[in-house]
Amino acid sequence: MQGGTSVRLYGLEWPKESARISRVFDLLVAAILFLAVSGAFHLHYMLTAGDWDMWIDWKDRQWWVTLTPIMAITFPAALQYVFWTKFRLPIAATFAVVCLLFGQWINRYFGFHLWSYFPMSEVIPALLIPGALVLDIALLLTGNFLFTAMSGAFAFALLFYPTNWFWLAPYRLPVEVMGQLVSVGDYISYAFTRTALPEYIRLIERGTLRTFGGHSAIIASFFSAFVSILMYLAWWHIGMLLARVVTTPNTLKNFMGLTDKDEPAEAAQKAIDGTSLQGRSVAAE
Amino acid sequence: MRTFCFHESSCVRVVLSAAAAIMQIGILTFVPDAALAHGERNQEPFLRMRTAHFYDVKWSTNEIPVNGEIVVTGKFRLFPIWPVNLPLPEAAFLGNGTPGPVLARTESYINGVPAIQSTKLELNRDYEFKTVLKGRVPGYHHVHPMINVMGAGPLLGPGNWLTVTGNESDFKLSIKTLSGETIDNLETWGLGRVFFWHGLWVAIAIVWLVWWLRRPLLLPRFRALTEKGGDRSQLVTSTDRLFGAGLLVATILTVFFGFQATDTAYPRTVPLQGSRATVEPLPEVPEQVKVVVNKSNYDVPGRSLRMNVTLTNNGSSSAQLGEFLTSNQRFINHEVSQAMATVDPNYPKELLPPNGLKVSDSRPLKPGETKTVDIEAADAAWETERLSSLINDPDNTLGGLLFYYDEHGKRTISNVSGPMVPVFTDPDNRTAENPKGGAG
Repeated sequence: MQGGTSVRLYGLEWPKESARISRVFDLLVAAILFLAVSGAFHLHYMLTAGDWDMWIDWKDRQWWVTLTPIMAITFPAALQYVFWTKFRLPIAATFAVVCLLFGQWINRYFGFHLWSYFPMSEVIPALLIPGALVLDIALLLTGNFLFTAMSGAFAFALLFYPTNWFWLAPYRLPVEVMGQLVSVGDYISYAFTRTALPEYIRLIERGTLRTFGGHSAIIASFFSAFVSILMYLAWWHIGMLLARVVTTPNTLKNFMGLTDKDEPAEAAQKAIDGTSLQGRSVAAE
Repeated sequence: MRTFCFHESSCVRVVLSAAAAIMQIGILTFVPDAALAHGERNQEPFLRMRTAHFYDVKWSTNEIPVNGEIVVTGKFRLFPIWPVNLPLPEAAFLGNGTPGPVLARTESYINGVPAIQSTKLELNRDYEFKTVLKGRVPGYHHVHPMINVMGAGPLLGPGNWLTVTGNESDFKLSIKTLSGETIDNLETWGLGRVFFWHGLWVAIAIVWLVWWLRRPLLLPRFRALTEKGGDRSQLVTSTDRLFGAGLLVATILTVFFGFQATDTAYPRTVPLQGSRATVEPLPEVPEQVKVVVNKSNYDVPGRSLRMNVTLTNNGSSSAQLGEFLTSNQRFINHEVSQAMATVDPNYPKELLPPNGLKVSDSRPLKPGETKTVDIEAADAAWETERLSSLINDPDNTLGGLLFYYDEHGKRTISNVSGPMVPVFTDPDNRTAENPKGGAG
């Protein structure tokens, strides 16, 4: 960094005022991006992993563990492409997941709890931050999206169940209700009724995975980790596609009296006259 | 200088209109009307007439304090002429139609079997239910029994009003776990742990984000990457990598040891329970009176359902037609004292059409006797309950239950069903607006 009227940022000379405006721009974009990603990621996540994430009696060892990381790695992967290739910032996954968590807590507290009377104990969102940190750091350390997919995306899914077990365990204590064995989570959702979301709608512990014995969450986590690698690669490329600046032919110009053949002539005339846009304005003055 | 408002009065009008619009949006957004019922009228008539018919429904009280209990009991029959466009009740759940969890359900049974899980039900069979609910949110709530059927949705029984008094903050639902923990209130159970772990990881995430956000961010980094002279090594330094590696190790260790510590703290846990309950229907009672619908009309201007039916008493006692039940509307034959005696004074009035049921011959049907009678259920309820829209249905078959009583008050139930033909005009010039007819 130099004294006087300019500063050096990452090896390039910047006028001080430009650097200051750039910093304000950083903050504005960060704030807008935070809200935009919160909304978009939350919408995507609610449409794909919604009920598993919304309700305490949907967070099973099989489907919740399998689906959630697969559906949650999408935005982090797409944003990682943009953040890393355009800015060398290894924070996209953490940023996306914090945005998601923000949207979820807003939604659960105001929408589910205050508006619809559900107790907070019934509607706690899943925690994805540790997996997202590992995903970001994998990209930072490897600098390669393929290695990040194989290590970071794998870890993103693998860490999901143990991360959430911290807070979920008290809801899996056994209780006896009307002579039946259920978990505390089952009983919470039974007691605080969802009128149009009855018990049978739950897609939990279905399938034959648990016939392999023991804790199906482990097998589900590894399966989810494998699919998350593929999802990561797919969404990294979706991020690449969406980050491209593309233009489409302006067909409306025909209605404005312009045709394609006019353009070369106009350009040629400009070249002859030596009039650029700036030149015209100067001439007009 | 030209401005948007040419005159001061225009400007005031614009400002006032904008303020009014904002206030309206605010009022609509933040001060909504209470939902006073559960959209049962919005359900298509074929759903209400030919799926679950609830009867003998009783609400133990119509006012409870917070933490007080209300018990809803009754029976339902799954109609045999089940709509062909609905799946059979292979999985059904005894719910309660309330405005969300304003009441907490503590017990529910179908034929004495705990109904915490879903179950398979059979058509043309009767089931007895019981639901115990605990007051939670003060207010004036409509409480229905309800059967949710997979693929068919919620099938609502009759609703009655319940007042819950007191303070919501006094509500508690306690339980003791099988591993010995006492849960003081399920509403708040485990939340301390939830807030701690969510808060901790959010704090760690913020540290990671701030580590990068504290430096010039977008344009300087973009230029450094794309322009000649940019120093990429400053974008990601060795300190960044070292910090990242440290955080990676810390994250994995925290998750690992946190998981171990949680497992140690809660050694006895169970997975979510997702089995199906097995419920036997009530013992089958042979249909004493056989009903054949010869013709049925819905008189649109007169708002009345008319049926010509042939009844055959195959039982050993007499049978007098006392009630026609459809879509939770009870059309009572006022000439049958046994039927009138079944009406609880606290039963919702809106479910008891005042004109009741008119039968051309109300005399008891003797054992072995067959006779043809005209039945008329006339009431504005056909319109207000939106049942008359059956005439717009591609399967306009009506359905309901007929209740008969013998001389000792013993009741038998028959299904009644048949195609319904609308009558749009009549010689008396009656219309929906002028149901009595004449010159109006």
